[in-house]
Amino acid sequence: MPGRHRKPSPLKVPDRPYLALGLEGSANKLGAGIIRHDKDGSTSVLSNVRHTYITPPGEGFLPRDTAQHHKEWALTVVQEAITKAGVSMHDLDCICYTKGPGMGAPLQSVALVARTLSLLFDKPLVGVNHCVGHIEMGREVTGAQNPVVLYVSGGNTQVIAYSRQCYRIFGETLDIAVGNCLDRFARVINLSNDPSPGYNIEQEAKKGKRLVPLPYTTKGMDISLSGILTSVEGYISDKRYHDGVHDETKKDDIITPADLCFSLQETVFAMLVEITERAMAHIGSKEVLIVGGVGCNERLQEMMGIMAQERGGQVFATDERFCIDNGIMIAQAGLLSYRMGHKTPMSESTCTQRFRTDEVHVAWRL
Amino acid sequence: MSSLGPSTSVLSTQELLRTSTLISQGAEAKVYKAYLQDRVSDGSEPNTTQHSADPVLLKYRFQKQYRHPSLDGSLTRARIAGEARALMRCLRSGVKVPGIRMVDATGGVLGVEWVDGKNVRMLLPGGAEPEDAGMGEDEPEPDCADAEEEEEVDPLGEYGISRDALMGMIGTEIAKMHLADIIHGDLTTSNMMLRRGPNDLVLIDFGLSYHSALIEDKAVDLYVLERAFASTHPDSEPLFASVLAAYGARMGNAQWSSVKKRLDDVRLRGRKRSMVG
Repeated sequence: MPGRHRKPSPLKVPDRPYLALGLEGSANKLGAGIIRHDKDGSTSVLSNVRHTYITPPGEGFLPRDTAQHHKEWALTVVQEAITKAGVSMHDLDCICYTKGPGMGAPLQSVALVARTLSLLFDKPLVGVNHCVGHIEMGREVTGAQNPVVLYVSGGNTQVIAYSRQCYRIFGETLDIAVGNCLDRFARVINLSNDPSPGYNIEQEAKKGKRLVPLPYTTKGMDISLSGILTSVEGYISDKRYHDGVHDETKKDDIITPADLCFSLQETVFAMLVEITERAMAHIGSKEVLIVGGVGCNERLQEMMGIMAQERGGQVFATDERFCIDNGIMIAQAGLLSYRMGHKTPMSESTCTQRFRTDEVHVAWRL
Repeated sequence: MSSLGPSTSVLSTQELLRTSTLISQGAEAKVYKAYLQDRVSDGSEPNTTQHSADPVLLKYRFQKQYRHPSLDGSLTRARIAGEARALMRCLRSGVKVPGIRMVDATGGVLGVEWVDGKNVRMLLPGGAEPEDAGMGEDEPEPDCADAEEEEEVDPLGEYGISRDALMGMIGTEIAKMHLADIIHGDLTTSNMMLRRGPNDLVLIDFGLSYHSALIEDKAVDLYVLERAFASTHPDSEPLFASVLAAYGARMGNAQWSSVKKRLDDVRLRGRKRSMVG
């Protein structure tokens, strides 16, 4: 961010305040937020509104229904963001939207909203990479300078480090994302999707006592999670599985859903912390930033904190306002790129399901 | 070679660590330089006939506080034992790796031969950048004596070999290892050393290695190295290409063509992983 770098930043201090609207809808959250970059180099979040599409227990969200949800809520959410911020659409400098990666149909419905607003109010569009949005907002909120980033969400699991105007991916999942792994297990044991399956797994895990053996699959800096999911699901049909709680008075040999949540978290998070630590050791960084929906998990934050402390470093994490998908992070990354002169012409204002973090030219950093 | 020291109790291993010099702390382990005075004396290794003449490198997998204790314990035991096993297999197949000096799986300590030389990462452009914790796990620091004269000079100069020759050696050693069906699991330039004197390329840190004859695993092993090259050494595509050329030459046509084909698949797989958000 401007003013914090010791070396001159390619990002010039703004000559006037800049305002951006960010629209996000790559998964089941629809978000709109307005951010302001001031002349003194500070950044303020004027509004950050979100509406989540919640499915019944045992069900995931399907692209078509999620897109429908976004279409239904788009006007309400954008209107609320504008009202809360106390600005007018005419004050905006640009409209930022998630270009990808994400689910196709929800992305399209939000891109359509962005295009419409852009034409109605004659504002330039800026297409933003969702992952870069997470990273930039995390850096802004926590003030971390050059951290190793662990990006963990329902669709992504990556260990990222910045180098030469690019967020390089050091390690990632080889199959499913960690959030996907947790969410799917939550569905198997019928946990509620409200507020989010991951949150309910976390609460359930606090009651767990018994650590059941699960595969531990780190591969270099990468991890594999699908086998762990299969394995933990297998315990459901184990003879010892008992949908209840441990009897404190006697020594029982049962495995409860809470035990499975606990074991799943302990194993999967240990793997995440391990690959993050490996990346930190590899590039010699002492800071680690956790972003993405799973980043709100306090047990993950705690484990990462212990690791960072052992290395004489520090962990930076944000709360659910910024961890979970939101519009403000799209506004932040979009405005940074807009201030570097980047705009997305209407003819290129597409979206894409596949858009890697390392494809983005990070012009605003040294 | 097979001088696995007499089984040592946790207590005496801890004592040994206390009297050793900590060299570096990597992600996995603390690395010490130590002298096994009354342990190494079976004479099977020409260099170790004199007591305490040669240092050993101790790799201590300390307890990870963030990890559940029972998970941590079983991981540590499995990794120490696995690492020792992989090193033994490599030694038998003539892959250049450090010899084993002691194993204490429960205590989390593996002692290996001290390799006098430099980390390959430091010998390539871009590798020497962030120092301190940025070093790989197993590597002893270069001797201070000749550290000064090396500034601004090609670090490979003192070895008298070209960068291309070094790449060739890397490819050949990896091929030898794969021919013995050992998968390193964490191939990076930090995990290779160039031994001073004979100019041997030594593969180190087998902490994530395993035994497998699958083409898939060998291809993934190479892919891990490719990505490590790309992330540590900018513009190193030609370097990695010569690693692969030497690897292919050593593996032989049949094996190489299938590994090569699979490597292309694996690269694509990594790309695909971008989708959902």
